Parts: sequence; C-alpha cells; structure tokens
Amino acid sequence: MALRVTTMMTARATVRDLQGDLAELSRLQRKLSSGKEIVRPSDDPYGASLALQLRSELDGLRQYQRNVDDGIAWLNASDAALSKIAEALHRARELLVQGASDSAGPRARAAAASEIDQLIETIKQEGNVQYAGRYIFAGTRTDTAPYTLLGPDTYAGNNDRIAREIGPRVTLDINVTLDPLLGGGQAAGDDRLLHVLRDIADHLRANDGVALRGTDLQRIDANFDVLNQLRAEVGARTNRLTVAWSRLRSLEENTTELLSGVEEADTVRTMIEYTTQQAAYNAALKAGAHVVQMSLLDFLR
Amino acid sequence: MPVSTFMGLQTTLRGLLAHQQALTTTSHNVANANTVGYSRQTVDLTATSPLVIPANSVITGAGAQLGTGVDVTAVRRIRDTFLDLQYRAQIMKLGDAAARANSLEQAELAFAEPSSDGISSQLAEFWDAWSALARAPEDDAARQSLVTKATTLAATFKAVYDQLTVVAAQAQQEYDAITGPNGQIDLWSREIAQLNETISHAVAVGQTPSDLMDRRDLLIDRLAELGQVSVTDTGNSNLRIEFGGVTLVDPLRGAIWPQTLTRPGGKLGALQELASPTGPALTFRARLDDVVADLVARVNALHAAPAGVDFFDPAGTTADTLAVVAIPATVQAGSTADPGRNDIALAIAQLRGGSTERLYDALVAEVGGEVQSIRRTEVNVQALVDAIEDRRQSVQGVSIDEEMANLVRFQRGYEASARAMTTIDDLLDTLINRTGRVGL
Repeated sequence: MALRVTTMMTARATVRDLQGDLAELSRLQRKLSSGKEIVRPSDDPYGASLALQLRSELDGLRQYQRNVDDGIAWLNASDAALSKIAEALHRARELLVQGASDSAGPRARAAAASEIDQLIETIKQEGNVQYAGRYIFAGTRTDTAPYTLLGPDTYAGNNDRIAREIGPRVTLDINVTLDPLLGGGQAAGDDRLLHVLRDIADHLRANDGVALRGTDLQRIDANFDVLNQLRAEVGARTNRLTVAWSRLRSLEENTTELLSGVEEADTVRTMIEYTTQQAAYNAALKAGAHVVQMSLLDFLR
Repeated sequence: MPVSTFMGLQTTLRGLLAHQQALTTTSHNVANANTVGYSRQTVDLTATSPLVIPANSVITGAGAQLGTGVDVTAVRRIRDTFLDLQYRAQIMKLGDAAARANSLEQAELAFAEPSSDGISSQLAEFWDAWSALARAPEDDAARQSLVTKATTLAATFKAVYDQLTVVAAQAQQEYDAITGPNGQIDLWSREIAQLNETISHAVAVGQTPSDLMDRRDLLIDRLAELGQVSVTDTGNSNLRIEFGGVTLVDPLRGAIWPQTLTRPGGKLGALQELASPTGPALTFRARLDDVVADLVARVNALHAAPAGVDFFDPAGTTADTLAVVAIPATVQAGSTADPGRNDIALAIAQLRGGSTERLYDALVAEVGGEVQSIRRTEVNVQALVDAIEDRRQSVQGVSIDEEMANLVRFQRGYEASARAMTTIDDLLDTLINRTGRVGL
C-alpha cells in the first residue's frame, strides 16, 4: 500500500523538523555566545578530559614561573652580598700584603689591624643579608641572623638546602650557606675566612711579620678560591633559572595554544554554520506554514 | 409478477439513510483529525437482500432478483495491530533511553566541568597554595590561605557528592510517583479494566465500539513507555494486560495494582536501575570517593611523615567526609622545625598532575562519554518511534483531503438518492392523480 499522508503526519513531521532545526540552532548559539567548543564533557568526552589536563598543566607552569622569579631574586640578592664580601676580601688581602712588608712599622700594622676588624664586621653584615624578610645565608633557619655583629664569630644558621620547584618533578636549590666560607671564627679553628682574618689582625697587632709573610697569605688565598666557587655556583644557578624561565614561557604559550585548540570554538566556522542553520530553519518554517494550511477544502466551493 | 408500488420509495429511503450515516462518520473523522490515538472509521455499505421475482416469463422461464437498496453493515476503525506491537516495543526502549539520558545529564551537570568552579580548578588552586607555601614557609598568610583553599576544595567535593546523591534519589522519587497510589499505572490500569468491561459487552452483542477501543489502545501505548507490556485477547475483545512480568489487568478480576514488578523494562526499569547503588549516579559517586581517598592518602603520607600530623582527616576518605584537620599553625611545610624548611610543601606541590588528577579526569571523560552515548541511543530510538508512528498515522490517521472527497461523494450520493425518490414520487403522482380520469 502506498503511504497515505495524513493531517497528523504532516503536522508531526513539521513540528519534528522545526524542533530538530531549533535544537541545532540553539547548540550553535551556545557555542557562539560562550566561545567554547566544549561546554559540557559530553560535547567531546576525550577533549574535555584533555582540556582539564592542559588547564592543570598551564596552572602548574604559571606556578613554576613564579618559583623561578622568586629563585632569581633570591640568587641576585646572594650574588650582591657575595660580591661585597669579595670586595672586603680584596681590601683585606691588600692590607695583609702591605702589613707583611718589613717596611711597615708597628703603628701602620695596628691601623691595618683595626681596618681588618671593620672589614670582618662588613663581611658578617653581608652574611646577615635578608631577602623578603628572610636571612638567605642561614640555611633553613631563615628567621635567625647567621652572625652576631660585634660579637662572637659563631655561625648560627645550618647547612640545610632550600629548593624551588622549577618544572614538573624538577627542583633546584636556591640557597648557598656561608659556613663553608666564613666558618666559626677562631673558636672553631677551622681555617675559614673569619678565623683567618682574626688571625691576621692578631698577627698585625703582634707585629709578627714572619707569620704575616708566611702562612697568612696562603690561607687568605685558599679562602678566595672558596668564595669564587660560591660565586660561580650562584651564577650557574641564576643561569639555569633564566633558561628555565624562557622554557616555561614558551611551554606556557604552546599549552595555551593547545588548550584553545581543544576547548575554544572556531568562531568563523561556527558563524557560517549558524547562518546556514538559520536559513534551513527559515525554510522549514515557511514550508511548514504552507503545508499545514492547504487542503482540498481550499479548492471546493 | 408485479412488485409493490411503493417499493422504489423504500429503496431510495435506504440510500438516503446510508449516505446520511456515511456523512456523519466522515464528520466524526474530520472532527477527530487531531485527536491523539484516534483511528479513522469507515462505513461498510452493502447491498440489501434482493427481492426474488419468480419465473413467469413464458419465453425463457427465468426469474429475476430485484435490488432493494443499500444498508450500513458496520462502522469499522482502520488500524494495523502489527504496527501497534512494533510501536509498543520501540516506545518502551525510548522510555528507557529518555529516563537514562535525563538522569545522566543531571549527573554531568553536577560535575560542572569544565569551569572555574569545578573540582579540577579547585584542585589546581589547592596545589597552587602548596607552591606558595613552599616559596614562603615562614609566612602565616600562606598557611592560612592553604587551609582556606583546602576547605573550599573539600566543600566542592561534597557539593558534587550531594548532587549525585540527589540525582539517584530523584529517580527513586519518580519511580515511586509512577507506581504509587493514584500514580499513572494505578489510574491507567483501572481505566483499562473499565473499558474492557464496556467493550466486551458491546462486542458480545455484535457492536464495534471503535472509539472506546482507541482510548484503550492509547492507554496501552502509554503503559508501554513505562514498561514491558504484552496483550492477549481472551475473547469478545476482553484484554489481559501483562505488565513488567505480572498480570496488571485481568479480564475477570480487573485491575490488580499495586504489585512488585518482576522485570519492569521501559522507563520504570531505567528508573529502578538509576536509583540503585549500581546505577550510574552512585557509581560516579563511588568513583569520586576513590579520587578523594587517593588525595587524602597522598597528601597525608607526605604531611604526616615528619611529625605524624595529618593534613586531611584520615577517616574522611569519601567525597562527603573529606575534612581538613590541620590548622595554619599545624601545617607542616618542612620536615624540621626550621622556619625556612620547605621540603614537605615542595613534595606535596609536586603531587600536581599526579594520580589524583588522572583519576578525576578519567571520571569526567567517562561521565561525558556515557551522556554522549545515551543521547545518541535516545536520538536513534526516537527516530525509530517516529518512523513507526508515521506508518501508524499513515494507516489510521485522518486525511482531511480524503475526508473532503468522501464528503463530496456522500453528499452527491444523498442528493442522487433524493432525486430518485422524487422520480418515484412523480410516478406515483402520475398514477394517483392523473390515471383513470377519462371523461372527468
């Protein structure tokens, strides 16, 4: 039997087609107004989970950048302090060389000794330098000044490391401790900088040219090596952080691009789809209005 | 042999009456063109028994049968019961798919992903707070901010958990409403039982109660959306209705409700499953608990390592019991008491993008996948139902054009019958008034 087309059928078909067109139209409109390809996970389950993952990655990358920024500032503060210590050390070595010469009299040596005392204070002051309210050379005892000015030379910090996360599962120590360089003074007898400088001051005061010419120069030069190593270490770490920073930046850009590719709607394409769909909807409306209106009734007298 | 003088009048009268009935039926069809469940009706016209004229011809010896007009033998409804069976099988699947799609979409909305309020974003902010603490372990503000972020995260987990619980509870409520007293099944089964009685009485005396049958079929269609229906005619169109594995309407005992359905199917079957602990909403909820358990275990393992201080309540391993027990002062940023020590905070911040997120992302992808797949099923079944309903409407639906043509046909038939009657009347006039008047 041929298909009879009945009033109910045309009405149902018209409504169904209009509904379908309208649903598609509203989906496209939602896409346009939100600018998102994925509004709910069911729009694209794999894409949605990928988008969540990328967002989390992006968030992590921003945190790593902050960590790197903070690390660079910390290391810059360390480097500045170390260069001040180096200046002081240069001056101390000059005084030692001058004082070691026998042409220097006891008075000149005494004057040099008191300048060295001042230099020791300067060095201890640089050892107590702070960044953001924290003592950066005290290991993890960041609330304690590592050296007491005008007091005993004992080191009050520890040798623990402080690290920053600069990438997924990648950490970098950002602190150096001054104990290996400055040491604990004469009381510790560790041949480190404070011990050596105190000895030199004592030898100058004691007018002990032999000691000054002898081991003192070697001991101070040994400490120069330690200081240079420290500064090289700080420089290398700053370098690493700078490289990490630009890598994180480009990673962030790539990830952002990837995320927008997954998540964001292609506005041009969506707009064209929307216009096409609107035309289809208009046509369906027009056709529906005509089909439902007409019947044999219109032509019978 | 002569026939009655007035026989022609009787014949034309039958024609008039039959066409009048046909016109009435056409009007009935037109009036019900938009009635849901209506089947168009046709009038069966049959020639009446002829008048036998005995053989009186001297030439051939043959007799004759003289037609006596027309009679309406039945008013039938046009309906294909095979299409009804197909329709009921598909509408049951649609009931199932629609209920599932509705519930799953609600579950999907509960997750509110992707958005800045979802668990995913909150989790990222939680790790951010640990990163910030690792940068400034001495800072009380960083500790306070961490505890606040963690509390917000716990609240977000609980909100999603509660939403999923509500989704399952709503399915149960809908099931109870449909099956409860004065629910749809109760009302419909009673109406079907009443219709059964009226229809079987009418059929027993040879009538065809088309409109009542339409109503009964409509109710059965609606029942089919709710669950598995099978129909048996026990004679005189008195139907036994099996619903969801039990007898819902018995020809003798009438409606039997409430009962426990053994295999509901359709919308009720879907609702029953959606509300059960193995249903999708509560399964998703259990998976969410797994995410929380992983988070609590991982964070606590690192946090409690140095001093045995938990960050999250170790007993709260479900999304609704997740709770922060650490206060800013007890947050462990480092493994020693040194204020600059940040190794614990650093280790916890490195949990970002780990198994907790992977579990959660997979869950979101699964929810999205389920919704997408059930929505597709719904669209497919809907298309099938539409196609079958179109076939049904093609058979049983009213075509206005056809009815208009019939209207013209029957009107003309009526007019012609009236003209025939006038002709007979003229004959009688000739006979009565003008015959035998010779000489008058």
